[in-house]
Amino acid sequence: MNTAPATKIAPLTKTGRRAKRLFSRLIVWGFLAMIAIFTVFPVLVTLFGSFKTNAELTSGATILPSVWHFSNYLEAWKQADFAKFTWNSLFISTFTTIGTLLLASMAAYAVDRRNFFGKSFYVGLQAATMFISIGAVVIRPQFELMVKLNLNSSLWGIIFILISAHATTFFILIGFFKGIPRDLDEAAYIDGCNFFSVYWRIILPLLKPGLGVAALFAFRNAWNEYILPLVFTMTNPKLQTLTVGLADLRYGTTAATQTHLIMAGACLSILPILIVYVLANKSFMQVTGGSVKG
Amino acid sequence: MTSLRKLGESYSFIIPSLIFTVVLGIYPILWAIRYMFYSYPGYGEEVFIGFGNFAALMRDEAYWNSVVNTAIYASGKIIITIPLSLVLAVILNKGLKGKNFLRAIYFMPTVLSTAVISIVFFNIFNSYNGIINQFLMKYHIVSKGIDWLGPDMAMFTSIIVAIWGAIGNYMLLFLAGLQSIPDDVYESASLDGANARQKFVYITVPMLGPVLQMIIMLAITISLKGYESIMVLTEGGPIGRTEVMYLYVYRMFFPISSSSTMIQQIGYGSAVGFMSAVIVGLITIGYFWISKRLNRIF
Repeated sequence: MNTAPATKIAPLTKTGRRAKRLFSRLIVWGFLAMIAIFTVFPVLVTLFGSFKTNAELTSGATILPSVWHFSNYLEAWKQADFAKFTWNSLFISTFTTIGTLLLASMAAYAVDRRNFFGKSFYVGLQAATMFISIGAVVIRPQFELMVKLNLNSSLWGIIFILISAHATTFFILIGFFKGIPRDLDEAAYIDGCNFFSVYWRIILPLLKPGLGVAALFAFRNAWNEYILPLVFTMTNPKLQTLTVGLADLRYGTTAATQTHLIMAGACLSILPILIVYVLANKSFMQVTGGSVKG
Repeated sequence: MTSLRKLGESYSFIIPSLIFTVVLGIYPILWAIRYMFYSYPGYGEEVFIGFGNFAALMRDEAYWNSVVNTAIYASGKIIITIPLSLVLAVILNKGLKGKNFLRAIYFMPTVLSTAVISIVFFNIFNSYNGIINQFLMKYHIVSKGIDWLGPDMAMFTSIIVAIWGAIGNYMLLFLAGLQSIPDDVYESASLDGANARQKFVYITVPMLGPVLQMIIMLAITISLKGYESIMVLTEGGPIGRTEVMYLYVYRMFFPISSSSTMIQQIGYGSAVGFMSAVIVGLITIGYFWISKRLNRIF
């Protein structure tokens, strides 16, 4: 704190200063704790709620369940078809991630290592797709396109649309490419590699950290996507993902809302991402933090 | 010719990405621009009507209501989120015990699905058996449950949920910006006898200027475009109180739930979508202009 106190105020005694510091520290910690509780609160409600009975959920004001009902998960898994939803979510996220990484890494490789006619146009186009957005409008033509291609009755329509939004990954990977020295390419060419085999055998293995981070983001986005799968599964409930299936439970056509199943389902959809986040927390922080530099 | 082969190689690596971008990114935009001038309900005949959709749009009270709501939603979210996340970032930028843990906690909402968390919040704020009301009544803070998702409170509640999802994200962006301020500036300020508050006002905020401007711009565009959370939390209701621009656009293309009576209108929806994009664009440009002028004054 201030070592040269303002002239008018009498200098504080040693204990007074210590009390003041303690007080300001308490305020800061109180503030931090409050925000932390606010942040964690809905997650805890979900987690503990998933073990409550429906009756307890609709009447009790306690956070912890009185009796832990693990059967909610079994019920959600079987009765509310969360097994199917989970599989669909997993399918979409996995293939979206693979497709995004492949497309973006190939393009980033060519853009970073080569000069060709139309390069700046291509990069500009990718940048533009990140900023131009007319929201829900584009989903309609995308949907009709998939109907024409006969992909609307499978999950591939969703996957292709999600893959098409790979601009962010492209720019993340370009950043990582800068860290791979070109001398390695040259050496590989001398050893008889061609453009493709340099990419496949030299670059991709070296790009692993970058690919890992990009994969985290692509997987998270696909896993959390709501509106696209909602639109595509309106007439096809079998293809619903976790996010869509959950929301459907809420609007449930059945008589009573089964809140305990919603909570168990919410946990099923939050927990995998949450676990990945805890394990890969550092990567999440770095990439998001780095994106604002410059 | 080796150079031609090189060119071919380069293009073959670009083309897959380019096809996806053009077919699923550019084409839909052109499609929407074309249909703005048509009357087309999604089936049957497409009729060219010129600017007819825009004329109807001007008289569409429900749409302009959604524009006003979007403004309330976005400004409410930004006014609270930006200062809060800035303060958090400043505190966590110091050598505080457990700062990495706290950063991770605050950033966590960004990782979770907006739709799923909105469903959870729906249950938390539920008027007659939500956990918030149960708690308030148990400790006799209120005698009757507050109708959090009713006409009076729904917008407030939606903003709370939006703030929940955004704080950590902006905190992290601010942290990245703070790291670019050199330590010696603070050291020399300390030598001159500046206190924590003075350092924040006279060093941190001005030095953070460019980053701050960018983050606010990002916050503006993101909040004006967001509708997923509201769609799940309130469906735009009750009585249109939380209807936002892009949710209205969405309604023109897809039925929102089985209860919806809105008829889909592709042509009109395209016009509404275009208008909304123009509004977002104008606000962004306007903000950019103002912040540039402020730059010159200070």
